[in-house]
Amino acid sequence: MSSAMRPPQTPANGRPLVRVSELAVTYNGSGRGGAEPVHALRGVSLEVCPGETVGLVGESGSGKTTLGRALLGLVAPSSGEVRFDGAPVSGRGAGRRLRGRLQVVLQNPDWSLNPSLRVWRSVAEPLAITRSVSRRERRRAVDAMLELVGLDPVLAERRPHELSGGQRQRVAIARAMITKPSLIVFDEAVTALDASVQTQVLNLIQDLQAERGFAAVFISHDLAAVRYVSRRIAVAYQGELVETGPVERFYGEPEHPYTRQLMSTLPTVEREPASPDASWPENAPPLSEDAHGTSRKDPRHGG
Amino acid sequence: MSRDLVLEARELELEYRTREGRVRSLDSASLTVRAGEITALVGESGSGKSTLGMAAGRLLAGNAEHVGGSLEVAGVSVFACTDERLRALRRATLGFVFQNPVAALDPTMRVARQMELVGILGAEATRALEEVGLRDISRVLRAYPHELSGGMAARVGIAMALGRDPRLLIADEPTAAVDATLREQILELLVERCREHGCALLLLTHDLHAVAHHCTQIAVMYGGRVVEDGPTGEVLAAPLHPYTRALLSALPGEERPGERLESIRGVPPVLRGPSPGCAFSPRCPHVMEHCPHVRPLHAPVEESRAVCCHLFTGELGARAGVPEAAGLAGSAVSSRPADDRPKEAR
Amino acid sequence: MSAARIPRAARVRRSRLPFRGDLLSRIAVVLLVVFALVAVLGPLLPLGDPQAINVGPRLSGPSGEFLAGTDSLGRSLLPRLAQGLRTTFLLAGVAVLLTAAVSVVLGMVAAYFGGVVGELIARTADVFFAFPAILLAILVVTVSGPGIVGAVVAIALICSPMMIRVVRAAALSVVGRDFVTAARVGGARPWRILFVHVLPNVAGAAIVQGTYALSVGILLESALSFLGLGVQPPEASLGSLVHEGAVYLSIAPWLVLIPGVLLALVIMSVNLLGDGLRDRLDVRAVEVRR
Repeated sequence: MSSAMRPPQTPANGRPLVRVSELAVTYNGSGRGGAEPVHALRGVSLEVCPGETVGLVGESGSGKTTLGRALLGLVAPSSGEVRFDGAPVSGRGAGRRLRGRLQVVLQNPDWSLNPSLRVWRSVAEPLAITRSVSRRERRRAVDAMLELVGLDPVLAERRPHELSGGQRQRVAIARAMITKPSLIVFDEAVTALDASVQTQVLNLIQDLQAERGFAAVFISHDLAAVRYVSRRIAVAYQGELVETGPVERFYGEPEHPYTRQLMSTLPTVEREPASPDASWPENAPPLSEDAHGTSRKDPRHGG
Repeated sequence: MSRDLVLEARELELEYRTREGRVRSLDSASLTVRAGEITALVGESGSGKSTLGMAAGRLLAGNAEHVGGSLEVAGVSVFACTDERLRALRRATLGFVFQNPVAALDPTMRVARQMELVGILGAEATRALEEVGLRDISRVLRAYPHELSGGMAARVGIAMALGRDPRLLIADEPTAAVDATLREQILELLVERCREHGCALLLLTHDLHAVAHHCTQIAVMYGGRVVEDGPTGEVLAAPLHPYTRALLSALPGEERPGERLESIRGVPPVLRGPSPGCAFSPRCPHVMEHCPHVRPLHAPVEESRAVCCHLFTGELGARAGVPEAAGLAGSAVSSRPADDRPKEAR
Repeated sequence: MSAARIPRAARVRRSRLPFRGDLLSRIAVVLLVVFALVAVLGPLLPLGDPQAINVGPRLSGPSGEFLAGTDSLGRSLLPRLAQGLRTTFLLAGVAVLLTAAVSVVLGMVAAYFGGVVGELIARTADVFFAFPAILLAILVVTVSGPGIVGAVVAIALICSPMMIRVVRAAALSVVGRDFVTAARVGGARPWRILFVHVLPNVAGAAIVQGTYALSVGILLESALSFLGLGVQPPEASLGSLVHEGAVYLSIAPWLVLIPGVLLALVIMSVNLLGDGLRDRLDVRAVEVRR
C-alpha cells in the first residue's frame, strides 16, 4: 500500500459555483387515499466552489438523492432556490443556459448507457445536444475522452452489453466530461461496482478532476468512499444537513451524533500498519537458480 | 460440539453453456463448512461465489453443467443424488436467504400464506417473526411483500429460512439492498439466530469488512477457486494470498487522509475453460515466471488455514526454496520438505 | 464424473433465429412465408382468374381441375382464395401500420410527460378498450359506409388501445432509466429523448404487440366482411368468401370450410410468430453482463 498523496484539488477562489439556499422539496401525496406529503428536503443550504469536491453522505430517505436532483434542475424547489453561477437551475430558460455546463454520472451501470446505441454515440450525445462541435470533431473528441478515462478506443464501436460494469461507468464518466462541464454530480456512481473496481474508478475521478478542474458533488451512502474523494463533506439525515465540514474531521472526531453513528459502521479490522510486513515472503532474500534449473523471479522486482 | 461437515466441496468444477461458448464458473473450488460454523464466502463478480452457494442446493440455471469434482451437503452428494433425495435435502437441511428480500418473496401472496407454504404455521410463524425482531406481527403476516420495507422483508426472509430448522443456511448478499446502519443489525440478527438454532451459515458477500465482525471463518474466492481460507481474524490481520492482500489495501476505509489507495490493476477474469495456471497472475504484483502456467494447489498452510498460491504451497514453492510464511524471514534459503508447516504470523 | 441431471424442462436452448426456434414457431413461420408468397405473387401464379365466371360447373366440389371447387357463379375458388389472402393481409397490414404509428407516439408521450396528458391518453385508450370489438367496428362502418376504408379505421381504433398500453408500460420503465436522466441533464429536448432514447428500447415490445394486432386485425376484417360490412364484391377477402359461401353451407360446405380453415391457419401462424418473437425479444432486453 503506497503512501502517495492524492492529487491536490484546485483551491477554492471564494466565489461559490453552486449556491443552495434554504432549499425545501416536498413531494405531495398521491391524492388518492390521502397519502401524506413527503418532506424530502427541509431548508437545506450548501455551497460548492469551483474545482471543489463536496461529498454528500446519507442513507436512503435522507434526502441526498433529492438534493442531487435539485442541483441538476431535475426537481423544482418547493421553496428556496438553487443557483448555478448566479442563475437558477430550474425554471424557464434554465435548460438552455446550463446546457453542457452541468453533467451527471448515475448509479446503475446496467442502464447508465442506452443499450440500443453504440458506445461512441452515447459519449457523443452531449455534444450532439449542444451542437457545439461538428460531426467529425465529435468522433475525435470521443476517442480522446475514452483514452482519458482509461478505455481502449476500440470499445467505441461496441454496445453497452458487451462491456463490464466498470467499463460502462467509465463510459458514463467520459460522456459526462465531454462538454467540459464546470460541475459533475456523481450519484452513487461506484456503489454498484465490485470492490476493486470501485477504487479504480474513485482514483480515476480524482485524477480527472486534478487534470480538468471541474467541481464535483459526490453522493453516496458509503462514507468510506465519500471520504476518499471529497474535500468537504455534508451529512444528510431526514431531509436536513446535520453536519458539514472539511474531510479531515471525518477521519477523526465528527460533531454530530448521527455522523458518529455512520462512522461506527466503517471497517475497524485490525491490520498491521503500512510498515513492511516482516512475515511475508517478499522480504525473503532473492534466490538464484535452484537445483532444478528453474529460476524464480524475485517478487520484489516481479509483477 | 460435533465437527461433522455440513458442506464439503472438493475441487468442484462447473461450467455454463452460453451463446458465446462455455463460461467456467468454478475451476476446482474446495470448501468445507462444519456444523454450526459461521463462514463468509467473499468474492467479486465472476469469482464463482454465487455459483458455489447455489450449487449446494443444486439451484443452478438450466445451462449449468457439472464437469468435475464433488459437492456434498450433510453427506449427500448433490450432483449424484436422485431428484427425490435432492428435494428432501432442500426441505430438511438447507435454507436460503437471497439478495433482494422483497423480490425473493412471492408478490401475489400475503406473508402468512407464504410461511404456511414452507411449513411454518400459526403460532410458529408468530414466534419466528418475533425472533427476527419484527413488531406488529399481525400486520406483517397480513401484508403483501411490496408493502414491506427492505429491512422488514429481509427479516421475513430470514424467519422463513430458519423456520424449517435447517442445518446449513446460505445467505447470498442478504444486506445488499439494505441501508448501512440496518445492515449491521440484520447481519447480527442472522448470525445470532443461526447460532441459536445450531445452524451453520455460509454468507456470500463482496464486502470484506462486513464479515470481520460476524464470521468466524472466511473463504476468499477468485477466478472460480477458493484462494484463501481460515479463521477470519487471522486472514484479515495477516492475509497471505496476494489477491486478499491487494483487496484489503485497495478498499477505502482505513487509509490516512489524503493517502492514495493502490487499486488492483486489470479486471477479474472470465474463464472459458480450466485456467492453465493461477488466474490471478495477470494482476499479481508478486507473480513469478511459472505462475501463469502451473496451477497452484489448494493446500493447508497451517492447521486451520489454506492458501492457493505458489508463493506458499506445493512442490514448486518448496523446490524454489520459498521460505514459508511467518517468523522465518531472513533465514537462509534452503530447500525444505514440502510439508514443513510454518508457524502462525503473529 | 457425471454430468448433472438437469431436467429437460429446465434446459434453456438458445436459438440463433430472431424468434424462438422450437418446432411450432418454425412451422408457423414456414406457413406464413408460404401464405405471404401466395398473397404477393397471386396474380402471377397459374391458379386461374378470380373473376372469370362460368369456367366450370357451379357449386362443384374439389376435383382435379378445380382444386378448391367452384362457387355459385361457377368461379374457381382457388384463385379467389389467393386474392382473398392478399386482400386480408394488405388490409390488416395497413391497419396495423396505422395503429403502430399512432399508438407508439401516443404511448411514449403518455409515459414521458405523465400528468394530465398521460392520464388523458391512458383513460381514452381504456374507454375504447372497453368496447366490444365487433360493436365498435360496426359503429365505425356505419359512419363510414361499408368498404375497405371503414374496415381499416375500425381495426386501427380497436387495436390501438392495447398497443398504447403496451408501449406506455414499456416506455415507463425506460423513461426512469439513468441514460434518459443523463440525456435530460445534458439538455436534450423531449423529442430527442423520445425518438433517440425511448423508441429504440420500446420497439421490441411494440413489434410483438404488432403481430398480435395483426392477427386481431385479420380476424376483425373477416368478421366485418362476413357480416357484409367489410370488403365488398367483387373484391374478395377470406372473410367475405366465408360470407358468400355461408348461404350454401349445406350443399357446398367447402365454400365455407376451405377459406375458414385457411383463415384459422393464418391467424394461428401470426400468433405463434408473435409468441416466438416475444420470447426472443424479452430475453434480449434482460440480458445484461455485469
